[in-house]
Amino acid sequence: MKAVKAAAKAVKSPHAETVRKAVAAPMLEIPEPKLTWMNKSRQWGVRVKPGKKGLTLGSLNVGIYGEIPMDWPDQTRNPRGAIGRKGMPPVGYMLRSKSQVWADCAADLYEEAIQRRWAPATDVPWDTVKPLPDDLERAVCQVNTELSQYANVEIEVISAWQHQMVYGYHEVKQYLATAGFDAARHYEVFRKRALMNGGGLGLEGPGQVNRMILESRGGWTEAVVYLVLVRGLFAQTILRYLEHYASNEAESFIYRNVLQDKARLLTYGLDHLKFAIAHNEDQKQIIATLLAIGDGLFIRDFNDPVLREALAIVFGGSIEGARGAGMDVYHDMMRAYISTHLEYCQWLDVPRRIPEQLEQYAPQD
Amino acid sequence: MSEAEKLGPDYELDLGWMDQTGPWDTRAEEGRNGLTLADIQVGEYGRVPDESDNQTGRPRGSAPRSGSYRIGNYAVRTKSEIWLDNASFLYEEALQRQWSSATDVPWHTIEPLPDDIEQAQCQMATFLTEVEFVAGDVPARWVSQTTPDFFEARQLLTAQVMDESRHMDVFRKRAMANGGGLMAATGATSGFVGSIDLSRDFTEMSARLHISGEGAVLTIFRMGELMAYNDAEKAMYRLCAQDEARHVAYGVMHMRYMAETAPERHEEINCYFDEAEAGILSGSANPAGQAPILSEPLAILLGGGIAKFDEGFKKLVALRRRQIQEYKKRVVSAGFGARFENGRSRINEILEQAAAA
Ligand SMILES: [Fe+2]
Ligand SMILES: [Fe+2]
Repeated sequence: MKAVKAAAKAVKSPHAETVRKAVAAPMLEIPEPKLTWMNKSRQWGVRVKPGKKGLTLGSLNVGIYGEIPMDWPDQTRNPRGAIGRKGMPPVGYMLRSKSQVWADCAADLYEEAIQRRWAPATDVPWDTVKPLPDDLERAVCQVNTELSQYANVEIEVISAWQHQMVYGYHEVKQYLATAGFDAARHYEVFRKRALMNGGGLGLEGPGQVNRMILESRGGWTEAVVYLVLVRGLFAQTILRYLEHYASNEAESFIYRNVLQDKARLLTYGLDHLKFAIAHNEDQKQIIATLLAIGDGLFIRDFNDPVLREALAIVFGGSIEGARGAGMDVYHDMMRAYISTHLEYCQWLDVPRRIPEQLEQYAPQD
Repeated sequence: MSEAEKLGPDYELDLGWMDQTGPWDTRAEEGRNGLTLADIQVGEYGRVPDESDNQTGRPRGSAPRSGSYRIGNYAVRTKSEIWLDNASFLYEEALQRQWSSATDVPWHTIEPLPDDIEQAQCQMATFLTEVEFVAGDVPARWVSQTTPDFFEARQLLTAQVMDESRHMDVFRKRAMANGGGLMAATGATSGFVGSIDLSRDFTEMSARLHISGEGAVLTIFRMGELMAYNDAEKAMYRLCAQDEARHVAYGVMHMRYMAETAPERHEEINCYFDEAEAGILSGSANPAGQAPILSEPLAILLGGGIAKFDEGFKKLVALRRRQIQEYKKRVVSAGFGARFENGRSRINEILEQAAAA
């Protein structure tokens, strides 16, 4: 105690005094335990056992811990099922209703994302990339530049919304953490491919659809419509074709693995839209309106020849090939995109008309 | 009629884009650790601007389009505000060291514990699951506001969000794995002025989050062996410590970059450290802090039960000392060690006096 008194004398500034109180006192005194926190639990005696896939997030939803209310007004980080502390100022979460964020599959997708993790640096067989003819390398680099930019939008949108979701729906926050991390990896892997084979980055993409996704500020559900049902599905279709026409094992590994990651986001997105539609009377019509407005922007992006020609060169193997078979494959890819998009809209029961400019890609029946 | 429709079987191509590229003939080469982010920082592609004018979200080094929409409006576009020199390395490490709380923790090694220990463990786990994701929410917000020109730093923050998600999850799992359950939340990370959440500047946030908050948690995770009662708990703390060390490294390396490149902000940053030092034990976000809802369960875990509370509390005090020593080391390493020499910080001398007493 003598030493502390001596220290107090030596202390001059008010700041040092604060530190002395905060640091020295707790070093010296052993308090009498109050134990007021003991025996406080809303449900005790829980014993969740690991299953075939280990101890998973979803398996924790037992008893009151599995009660997920439709509204979660608590804006602190009170974990679902714990006893909250009264009187805490809100953190400020914008999304506080289950219908704004929820998808039943989120917990499983979270665990799946972790199990299927991969690292572009070490898992891609980079040594299988051999010099390509100049036209093909330019096309591959252009496609990878635009895909990297797609991933950038995904990173920005997901991270902008995820932190606005309340703690009561932690499964969704956690799944989106994996989706943001996936997108970061995609951003990285496409850049790596463009910079490692005598090429470089190409021309930045046209910004209309990027802007449209980023501007869907009204709600996360609305962002999901553009991010998943329009751009996400389009990117997936591209990746599926790219995998088929890849020039080497590294590229096919990249496209395949990114596709697998994106499939999770699509699953979450569709599941969420279905949930939102089921719990909000107007949601279906909102989605239909968004899609109709989105068509205009999508068509402007799509009319830009850059990505189309680059893809046709990749599919055709050269500029010459692009003029014939390559462009045919491209149109085939567009038909695949539109028909899957329509299928999903139908599954969601969202009314959908394909605009005239894209009619050539609509299914015939 | 759209352009696409006009195209016949022998398609006309424009191909004007083929000459609009970033620097060409780039050959990044794989190193010992694969093709890393550092390996692709070649030529112009490795040049990070001090101020970013990228408003369209274009990949750094790609050819700009004059007609592109401005969509960025990024709040963070000054390099020194967010940069650290080894982001690429830490990011690649994060990718290599991902783990699964479902399968990498040997949950089957958990056996029933005496009630006071199980309660203490569950209270601690409730607190940790409550606060872990503050370090997910907040970096996510900054990720969305940072220009892609600083993507190396942004990648690392994205990895942190992922790590924290797993931390939030592993402690929830622990609370429900052994006949206990969640207990009482502390409200430690609510919306107070001065909280990590409400920081309005990245560097201030990083001082609060990476150096002060996560630094304190890292010391505890590193000493997890002392409060673990089975291999599952040991694994849990060890794996979290590994992640946490990266997050703290972000803060230290970022501050070091600030120390070297932004002398005009030194005084301000010292103010952040003043705040951190005043709150290091009194703030409720430190699990070894003074709040009884945290210090009591921790003392019970460290001592081995309520009956050995005093013994546990002495260990807790040792842990606090170590927290402060490690904090000091980090601030020195960040380039702000002068505060411990010039009388601004009293942490040094108070540590010595407390030890002597
Ligand atoms: Fe953490
Ligand atoms: Fe952390």
